[in-house]
Amino acid sequence: MRTRDRVLIAALAGVGIAAMLRLADWWFRADHVGQPVLFVLLSLAFWYSVSRIVLGWVNYAAVAKPDHRPARPGRTVAIFTTSTSGEPLAMFERTLAACRRVRYPHTTYLLDDTRDPRFRELAERHGAVVLELLDVPGAKAGKINRALATTTEEFVLVLDPDHIPFPEFLDRVMGHFDDERVGFVQVSQAYYNQSRSFTAAGAAEQTFAFYGPGQMGLYGHGASVAIGANCTFRRIALESIGGHGIGLAEDLVTAIRLHAAGWKSVYVPEVVSRGLVPEDLGSFYRQQLKWARGVYEVAFTELPHLTRKLRWRQRLSYLTIGTYYLFGVTTPLFLLIPYLFLWTGVQPTSMRFAEFLTVGAPVAVIGVVIYVLMQRWLCDRSSERGLHWRGLMLKVACWPIFLAGTALAVVRADLPYIPTAKEAVRGRFLRLAWPQLLLMFVYVATVARVIRVRAFGTSEGSLELSAEAVWGMIGFATLPVLSSLGATYGAWQARRIPSDAPWDHVDVSAIGGAPV
Amino acid sequence: MRRRQRIAAVLAFVVCGALAVMGLAALGSATEGPLSSALGWLGAATGAIEHRIRDRLAGPPRRESLRWLESYRTSADRLRAPDFVLLGAYDGGAPRTFDGVLELEAKIGAPMALIQVYTAWGDKADQQFPVGLLTAISGLGSIPVLTWEPWLSDFESARHPHLPLRDARDKHGMAAVARGDYDFYIDRWASEAARFEKPFFVRFGHEMNDPYRYSWGPQNNTKEEYIAAWRRVVDRFRAAGATNVLWVWSPHVAYEYWDLYYPGAAYVDWVATGVLNFGPIAQWSRWWTFAEIYGTKYPRLAAFKKPIMIAEFGSLAVGGDRAAWYDSALRSIPGEYPATRAILFFHTRDDQTVTYQKVDWTVVADSVVAPTIRNALASGGLICPRREGCR
Repeated sequence: MRTRDRVLIAALAGVGIAAMLRLADWWFRADHVGQPVLFVLLSLAFWYSVSRIVLGWVNYAAVAKPDHRPARPGRTVAIFTTSTSGEPLAMFERTLAACRRVRYPHTTYLLDDTRDPRFRELAERHGAVVLELLDVPGAKAGKINRALATTTEEFVLVLDPDHIPFPEFLDRVMGHFDDERVGFVQVSQAYYNQSRSFTAAGAAEQTFAFYGPGQMGLYGHGASVAIGANCTFRRIALESIGGHGIGLAEDLVTAIRLHAAGWKSVYVPEVVSRGLVPEDLGSFYRQQLKWARGVYEVAFTELPHLTRKLRWRQRLSYLTIGTYYLFGVTTPLFLLIPYLFLWTGVQPTSMRFAEFLTVGAPVAVIGVVIYVLMQRWLCDRSSERGLHWRGLMLKVACWPIFLAGTALAVVRADLPYIPTAKEAVRGRFLRLAWPQLLLMFVYVATVARVIRVRAFGTSEGSLELSAEAVWGMIGFATLPVLSSLGATYGAWQARRIPSDAPWDHVDVSAIGGAPV
Repeated sequence: MRRRQRIAAVLAFVVCGALAVMGLAALGSATEGPLSSALGWLGAATGAIEHRIRDRLAGPPRRESLRWLESYRTSADRLRAPDFVLLGAYDGGAPRTFDGVLELEAKIGAPMALIQVYTAWGDKADQQFPVGLLTAISGLGSIPVLTWEPWLSDFESARHPHLPLRDARDKHGMAAVARGDYDFYIDRWASEAARFEKPFFVRFGHEMNDPYRYSWGPQNNTKEEYIAAWRRVVDRFRAAGATNVLWVWSPHVAYEYWDLYYPGAAYVDWVATGVLNFGPIAQWSRWWTFAEIYGTKYPRLAAFKKPIMIAEFGSLAVGGDRAAWYDSALRSIPGEYPATRAILFFHTRDDQTVTYQKVDWTVVADSVVAPTIRNALASGGLICPRREGCR
């Protein structure tokens, strides 16, 4: 990041924080307290949300991009990719063909538990070594650890089987291991199927900022994380923490343990592979539930005992990551408030709507400006920039999933590890969309009631004086409903699955190939 | 760079800098509320539109019962010299609801042409120009009466560094108003008042001669200072084009020398006073008749040759016959006090502004008083102008 950009971001964030202080000064006034319990809950939810914005800025302030270091020849590298029953053979055709085309000398291993001879035949045809690892506990990470025991390469690239690496993949990565303290190098993640459905587009949009300025900020803070796919590890680093972490958030757990053990990480914000993003809403929900449940392990299990070994910037970064899915707790509260008011008249606060908008607007505006400004650091700017409204719509619709993930984490209930579906799964519309449809129904019923009551049941003496509060609340209730249209459309699309698979259109020989 | 280029660059820099500073400064004074003000107007407009829609759906609005007032509601000049008595009320439900006013008028059988609200000076949201309240009052078909109380210490010191600290502000505060120290606030009100267009009354700094109650009283200010402040306020409103405002000067006539606070015929549209019978609830009080409170002062009030408003009208129930009080008061007004042009019921359930206990001025629940008032109003022809017919 150039000094000029850093000054600009810092100045904007400074203004934003000033606006936030003003908002706080205004928010916490005794005569703003309505129903006290609700006021406390709303304040917690609201200021948690505001704090996320600030944490985002803190992260952005550190954005850094490592200089490319040419890969030194002579290192031994293994590419691990896993196959499991039910995964489509045709996908491996592309992945393994692409692995072979990766230029830096390496050995590709297929960690296979399908008991399907066609996989072995396919792997051998593409020059990959098959490691048949049956009945290994710990799902993907368990197989990686088992494979580490039977291989000897100094470096291991863990590649998700849906990811098609570009020939220059390792050339862009391996140079960073010249620094002996670097434990792993993560690259960006990008997709080749994001245009195939609303869900895919939204799911992809949710990742753009993370793989751009998000991870670059984490890198600047010394805490760029492994993300399960496309991460290259130094073998002795993994061995120093007893192997790859296991669990729903195996990637994050591995990253925090490596950082705690003193290893550095490098984030290379380059697209050197493309993979799949969930195309149907059901698969997306399952993936989100897995993440929501898993990520809490960072906050509940890893951070408490590793925190002393981390630097404070790493602590802050991991705390930010580990509490991300509290979004699922705050959102229902925000959803509930307008309905509570419109049906019962109960209000958490006696703030005036117009005043809240006035005082809150600067924070929101600065937030959007910084978000847009930070898009200069997206990995693939031309295809990734924008307001990412589909991603936002899906995020808002996911609150029940996040809430479930939070609840499961609090009671320490386990979820089975299921790999995210590679192919679109047909979903029943009602089964996927009922939360959204319920919300819309409640909304329409509420608006209908308000109109009826205000046309025929409200005395004229109160009508105009209550208009601002009532219609303000309706506006407040309308935003999530608009947002739920997105997920409803996603559920509608999931009723039928496309006749072709996403990889049908991928020509491995034409992918990547940027000069090294 | 050659010398000429350097000088040109420096000049260009200075000019750009000056423009930027001036732009920011203009923005600075304009940002003092433009967004909240815009939202306030938006909220008021939403309420007004909704009210119109409701009228279509749910039958004739209250406005219909005040149709005869229409020509006054739109003409400040006609309101400066009305030829009949306007009835009105302040109800304790404001600013939440005007239902109390509606209930009162149903009980006493007379639509309230005027609705009074109270608002104080200051920085808070409810101390800004109450466009929502005024729009709601005019949506109901009435004319607003705004009692505007210059509590100078409600302005936050941090936001107004040019003002003295709060504790020191009240002493000769009216002189500061007259000097223009509060123009930042007055001007905003003035421009919004002009934008409101429809006529309304402003009763500014009422009971300015009471040495105990209000900070703008004689304990802090001389009468000259009060008069200068009044004129300043009126001048600022006029300069902003707010000729739709009717200025109501409202002394406390129980204290002597109240007429010395008169700001001058050119600055006052109406004169007003309160007529509240507290009865024997406090040491300083006893059961006063209407004639004792109002009649003794009426000639001097009438001498100003302005319409007279009884801005706070009412009697408590303890200590005498309340029905008889209202009856004789209302029956006496048309004949004995003909310059009286407005009577505003002071109608609140829990008033504790003067006394330490809450007192109840309402009449709606009183099955004797309410019909008495109704009859007295009807017999005096006070319900609405006879010639234009009443519903």
